[in-house]
Amino acid sequence: MMQRLFIRLRTVVAALPRARGLLPLIVLLTAWQLLQSGPSPYFPAPSQWWTAAVALVDRQHLAAAFGATVLTFLEGLGLAIAIGTALGVLIGMSDRAARALQPLLEFMRAIPPPVTVPVAALLIGYNGSMKLTVVVLSALWPILLNASSAVRQIDPVLLDVARSFRLSAAERLTRVILPAIVPALLIGIRVAIPLAIVVTLLVEMLTSLPGIGAIMIMSQRNFQSGEVYALLVLVGLFGFVVNDLFALIEGVILRSRPPRG
Amino acid sequence: MPEIGRFLARVNWPGFATIVVGFLLWELLLRAGLAQYQNLPPPSAIADGLVEITRNGELVADALHTLRVVLIGWATAVVIGVAAGLILGVSATLRDYSLASIEVLRPMPGIAFAPVALLLFGFSLQMELMVVILPALWPVLVNTMGAVAGVHARLFDVGRTFRLSGAATLRKIMLPAALPGVLVGARLSMTLALVLAVVAEMVGNPAGLGYAVVREQQAMRPDLVFAYVVAIGAMGVALNAALTGAVARLFPAAAGRVREAA
Amino acid sequence: MNGAGPGRSTQAEPDLVFSCRDASVEFARRDGPRRVLDRISLELRRSEFLTVVGPSGTGKTTLLRLLGGLTPSTQGAVHVNGRPIDGPPAGVVIVFQDYSHALLQWRTVGRNVAFGLEGKLPRDAIDARVQDALRLVRLEAHKDDHPWQLSGGMQQRVQIARALALRPAVLLMDEPFGALDAMTKAALQDELLRLRDATGSSIVFVTHDIEEAVYLGDRVAVITGAPGRIGRTVAVDLPKPRDQIVTRELPRFLELRHLLHQAIGQSEHA
Repeated sequence: MMQRLFIRLRTVVAALPRARGLLPLIVLLTAWQLLQSGPSPYFPAPSQWWTAAVALVDRQHLAAAFGATVLTFLEGLGLAIAIGTALGVLIGMSDRAARALQPLLEFMRAIPPPVTVPVAALLIGYNGSMKLTVVVLSALWPILLNASSAVRQIDPVLLDVARSFRLSAAERLTRVILPAIVPALLIGIRVAIPLAIVVTLLVEMLTSLPGIGAIMIMSQRNFQSGEVYALLVLVGLFGFVVNDLFALIEGVILRSRPPRG
Repeated sequence: MPEIGRFLARVNWPGFATIVVGFLLWELLLRAGLAQYQNLPPPSAIADGLVEITRNGELVADALHTLRVVLIGWATAVVIGVAAGLILGVSATLRDYSLASIEVLRPMPGIAFAPVALLLFGFSLQMELMVVILPALWPVLVNTMGAVAGVHARLFDVGRTFRLSGAATLRKIMLPAALPGVLVGARLSMTLALVLAVVAEMVGNPAGLGYAVVREQQAMRPDLVFAYVVAIGAMGVALNAALTGAVARLFPAAAGRVREAA
Repeated sequence: MNGAGPGRSTQAEPDLVFSCRDASVEFARRDGPRRVLDRISLELRRSEFLTVVGPSGTGKTTLLRLLGGLTPSTQGAVHVNGRPIDGPPAGVVIVFQDYSHALLQWRTVGRNVAFGLEGKLPRDAIDARVQDALRLVRLEAHKDDHPWQLSGGMQQRVQIARALALRPAVLLMDEPFGALDAMTKAALQDELLRLRDATGSSIVFVTHDIEEAVYLGDRVAVITGAPGRIGRTVAVDLPKPRDQIVTRELPRFLELRHLLHQAIGQSEHA
């Protein structure tokens, strides 16, 4: 079992783009570091980003803020997955409902998520539940729409099989429908992740609710350039790690399925 | 006459009806006082708001500003993205030495650039452009790179058996073959550019439609908030339609292939 | 009608168009070089139809690419009109098996056929050649269609027309009818023979279909083994013009077919 895990890890690592591809980044950072002599209000050297980050951590703002951002992101994404799947399946199972709601849902999906933040602030106010609501709403539509269309595209033969084995509605749901739509759900989640990250940060920047976004704006207002760059790197790393983690999870979930396309 | 009949049969009547009914319910519930929501305006108020900001010229001014940012930013992103994508698509070696960097930089949320942009450029057009261009060039770059690298080897064999020069091969084989992929990237980038411009205006430069939404929200004018949201949505639709139309006009053959691929 | 290409040499034209002497092709692989073709010797005369037949994996495609200048020889050389080649030689054009990838799907049929002539001839000369080529393959009516709108057989004819528009001395064809159904294949075989008679081009035709090789060829070369080697070369002394029904029932046809099956089978089991 450990050996199989190790082999899987090795194939994942082998499939990653070669580490030598990091050369441009490394060259850029090194050149920046070498060319930058002293402290600069606009282009501080990478070493100063590090010292600024350490300072932020020391003041105990950073860890808590990062935790708040990550927590909001995970909660929002989790709720969006749960609600989106549930509603999507319900809508998808009724052809008439799907047809009737399709334009409305597509319209909701077309609304750029950042735009919903001031609207939510207007309607709900500046608080944690507003933050969560916006994140959920932003991440919801891709998941919901993918779930709904995936349900409608389930091979009718599969449903016949369920019927001929006399499965109850609950069994049909858990043993046939949900597994069948997992690939489409994963695609929807992949689209939803960057939306959720952006909206979480946006809310924090606009409302100064606790989180990385709030600290970023504060650092910028205080002209702490080292901090601003450090936080940019932090957010970038977060986005990168989340994406890779998700790819890993996706790989595990889909491992025994036929390859796509 | 039968064409009208076929068209009518194709329209999604239940869908259309749902939206109409939804709007009517919204309007009626608020008017009748059955639903009391402090800051939720009925559709009629939103419509009035739209008229108001059109009449006093604010809508046009804000829209033009955002449009300017989107167009300049998108065009720049396309130029850089296509150029880099072409080079990376052609050279497998360069690709090998850059893919990991691209994979690391690509997931960076555009909004994270806003504080840096503010630091470097303050409240200005350049600040917005920085927020727009950097993330918007990824779809173009990645799609162009994929399209160029994905040109079928057979086409290059054909170029060689007909003894085409390198320049002729680029012009007559590679570019036309890669064009649909490039156009897909350009279309994705346009949608992204609008969202990024709006975000940059919300969080940074106080100008344009994004700032207008936040401004009216803080001024407690919910009807105008929604009006500007509608405007942003309309701009997105218009930009997309304009791009699709331009592509169909300029590259009719490629447009057909993009449609098939979609 | 002489189908000689633009690469005319000043000396008296030998009857030999192509010659290949002890040419070998090796590819570099992770675990050492792999020889794909071993000491190939071939000759091709003017207006001759040479078929090369052999099972899969013997390097038939590599042989064609070698003759077409797309793959360099590791040893030995390929000569066209007496001169060794260094890249795709003038007057030699390859027709590929996968027509849908070999045609430029974004150009019309007419513009596809014109492809090899652009920049080399004035516009009206190109138009005339395109018309001639399309007439030869009987596709004038589809000049303004796009390849993806046509059937497989028609697309292959477009590719052949594109090659013929150059009035090449040699046509190299890599299993061109392999992806087509039997009836289209038969029709195109006859059309190809007619084209050869009309244009006088020499043709090297690679296939794994023994009957096709005998039906079409003036000579048949057998390629077998890995690395690929040319074994027997058989002259096909069947009457012309060939006929799908009559020729294929001739005793001599069956003899030749038997011979070639043996030649291939022997090398396989050796």
